[in-house]
Amino acid sequence: MSIAFNQISKVFADGTVALDRLDLEFDRGEFIVLLGPSGSGKTTACRILAGLEQATSGVISIDGRDVTRLPPRERNMSMVFQNYALYGHKTVFDNIAYPLRVRKIGRNSIGTKVHEVARLLQIESYLDRRPSQLSGGQAQRVAVARALVWNPDICLMDEPLSNLDALLRLQTRTELKRLHSDLGHTFLFVTHDQEEAMTLGTKIAVLNEGQLVQFDIPRRIYHEPSSRFVAEFIGRPAMNIIDGEINNGMFQAAGGFQIDVENQPDGPVAMGIRPEQILVSGTQTKQTIEFELDVIELVEPDTLLFVKKGGVNMVVRVMRDMGQIERGATVHLALPHAHRHFFELADGRRRW
Amino acid sequence: MIKRRMGAVLDRGLAPLLLIPSVLLLLLILVGPFLYMVWTAFTDLHYALPGRAGSFVGFDNFRRLMREDQIFWHSFLLTLRFVFWVVVVEFTAGFSLALLLFHFIQRRRLFLTLLLVPMMLAPVAVGLIWKLLLQGDFGMVTYYLRWIGIIDTRTALLSDPALVLLTIIFIDVWQWTPFVTLIMLAGLLSLPREPYEAAIMDGARPLQIFRDVTLPLLRPIIALVLLLRGIDAFKEFDKVFILTGGGPGTATELLSVYTYRVNFKDWDLGYGAVCAFMVYLVVLILCAVFYKAVFWHESRAPARKA
Amino acid sequence: MARAWRTAALAAVIAVLLLLLLPYLWIFLTSFKTRLDALADVPVWVFTPTYDHYPEVFINKGYLPLVWNSIIVAVLSTALSLVVGAPAAYVFARFDFTGREDLFFFFLTTRMAPPISVVVPMFLLFTTLGITDKPIAVILAHTTFNLSLVVWMMRGFFNDIPREIDEAAMMDGHSQLGTFLKILIPLAAPGLAATAVLCFILSWNEFLYAFILVAFEGRTLTVGIPGLITPHGTLWGQVAAVAVVATLPILVFTFIVQRHLVRGLTFGAVKG
Repeated sequence: MSIAFNQISKVFADGTVALDRLDLEFDRGEFIVLLGPSGSGKTTACRILAGLEQATSGVISIDGRDVTRLPPRERNMSMVFQNYALYGHKTVFDNIAYPLRVRKIGRNSIGTKVHEVARLLQIESYLDRRPSQLSGGQAQRVAVARALVWNPDICLMDEPLSNLDALLRLQTRTELKRLHSDLGHTFLFVTHDQEEAMTLGTKIAVLNEGQLVQFDIPRRIYHEPSSRFVAEFIGRPAMNIIDGEINNGMFQAAGGFQIDVENQPDGPVAMGIRPEQILVSGTQTKQTIEFELDVIELVEPDTLLFVKKGGVNMVVRVMRDMGQIERGATVHLALPHAHRHFFELADGRRRW
Repeated sequence: MIKRRMGAVLDRGLAPLLLIPSVLLLLLILVGPFLYMVWTAFTDLHYALPGRAGSFVGFDNFRRLMREDQIFWHSFLLTLRFVFWVVVVEFTAGFSLALLLFHFIQRRRLFLTLLLVPMMLAPVAVGLIWKLLLQGDFGMVTYYLRWIGIIDTRTALLSDPALVLLTIIFIDVWQWTPFVTLIMLAGLLSLPREPYEAAIMDGARPLQIFRDVTLPLLRPIIALVLLLRGIDAFKEFDKVFILTGGGPGTATELLSVYTYRVNFKDWDLGYGAVCAFMVYLVVLILCAVFYKAVFWHESRAPARKA
Repeated sequence: MARAWRTAALAAVIAVLLLLLLPYLWIFLTSFKTRLDALADVPVWVFTPTYDHYPEVFINKGYLPLVWNSIIVAVLSTALSLVVGAPAAYVFARFDFTGREDLFFFFLTTRMAPPISVVVPMFLLFTTLGITDKPIAVILAHTTFNLSLVVWMMRGFFNDIPREIDEAAMMDGHSQLGTFLKILIPLAAPGLAATAVLCFILSWNEFLYAFILVAFEGRTLTVGIPGLITPHGTLWGQVAAVAVVATLPILVFTFIVQRHLVRGLTFGAVKG
């Protein structure tokens, strides 16, 4: 029971390579998130799975069946669009009922199913309205309802939250999560927002420049990024990454400090550590490094410290009140061994 | 299974299937006649003279047009004069009116509705209306013009060789100035606010803003209006046919009217085809200019990508 | 100061409107004037109306069939243009193919083609085919301009519908044809209606094609107008009555589609 992209490539007419031999396989019931910056090919991948776009080469298979050449209507998938794409000339009820009608579901069960899904999404009270009379959040729910009403094999979502304002986006995110746990449907969700990906996905596929960079559960994506790209893309503020070199068990930061490392072979390397995992120490110890405080940002309840030493800049996230601390002050920072990440300087791959 | 395959074929072949009927129809009713016209232009086809059944005469008709036919070239120049004045006056008046409406009048819906009346009338009806108004002995407009003293008591505007072209131009202006107003007003209303606000913040005065912001932003629409009116005026037939029939003499014999005369009064169809071809040629050239000026950039914009 | 300007502008606009509307008002009045009032040396503005001209010209002189002919020609030409043109517009709006813009330009040139140039060979061809003096001749002729009007206007209306709507319909289980017929056509219905009305107006108002291609039975109303004008003794009351009947319905239609008029008159270049 699985959905698979096998060596899928997509080259557009103007020569742009949107996808480059993408391999991706996942099981039913998962909430898969395709995550990547704009131009990474995530939307193209989603549209190829939907059948709205034809792959230049490669095979899409569902439970081992080749569906690459099938038109969308024969793939048993539904889709929620970024702008919702509701039919303006139909009521909310008819919008939701539409896929059932097209698929020639009996008249009686249409009403039952529409009301069922409407109750689930709490839109029962405006089934008679037209899309133009709905707020963004309501239209979004209607689009989701339309995508779920007929129990498709997969529900595809192409940045469905990005047209909502911030607060609504958080609420809807939570609801989608609940919906997935309750229904056990398969979802494929496209986004460029790493926070959305981390909270929603049971697994995240990180794409960059048309290639799959990492495909894993959110925890591993965060704690064991497979490359410098993933490490920087996931987590805000972004992971501090310092270029340098290891010589005889000592990491020498370019234009900065020295620090001892464990179990790392010599060679040019980039060392990363997340802002929230740096420890601020009151006093100087053997493990600490002296930095100069450059800028302080209070992001309640946290404090962000932007520090520098020579040519090295870092940001530290401290989850407590720092009290009175001035620009230019000296801070002592410890970089715990367990939370350091090492990447090849040449190609950004993780050093395991 | 069969249904599924049919669906796939239909999806792939849908675009040509939907497009081809329109192309075929146009080939049938436009390209066919056009080619036939080109063929006829090389024959001596004549319905009124015996023995001219349409045998091939080479470039005789074209030679006649270039060397002998002074009336054609008179018509050609007349048409150019007509087009020039019509376009200039209609644009100036229409744009001014649009600016008045845009700047000074808030609730303009009713005005716009009434403004539409002249241009939506059938041109034949317009000709008829003005023929009635300009009658020499009882025309309402003639009466008041004489009463004010603009014309003397014997002058009739439609039969005075010196004034008749002016009159025809005026009537076209009467009918089509609202068109310019309507389009220019739509253009003014569609302009973005930011450049204006930027210009105001930069300290520009109203006239400078008009010259430096409004006019450049409106340029595509101005080109559109000028060309549309130019092309339509070049094809003018209906009103002139009703009002003067081309006369007195050949004072208002525009190219269409002359072409009509050669073909359907003299029945000299071989030569008439050459005249018709010339009109077509000029319009096609104007049309190409129109397309380049107005649509090119928009339609060649890169196609959307995922 | 601003107020004075506003008043002056208002006065100017009203003066222009009077200038534009009085001629039409005059022909309207004339259609109710007795022969004596119509031909009076001094223009008569107030008079006792007569209602004789309308029945006289339309029933006794047999102009009623001309109205019918005009309706037939306009309706059928509009229908033909929509049925053939709307699918083509959809293709232009939604499909990419080489030469698309050139073909689109070809459609534009057909809209611009000078009637006098088209009608000459068309007359010869239709005479050969034996279809002159039949409504079909004029219907086909009017389709030369209406078809491309439909293609140009409807492409704009289809472009206004986001592509995601098509994609949603395909995800909902439609084929491409189904998407076009069941989703796009209903969504573009207001635009389709406006286009239809504009086609109807253009066909109804057209003179030259009809004048050349039909002479007797098939005459449309516009073709009937010149026949009423004689060098001497033109019955202006009746002429005016025909002119009013030929124009009043069109004005009503115009007000219905006013919102889309700008787009129609500029081939979609200005949305209005």
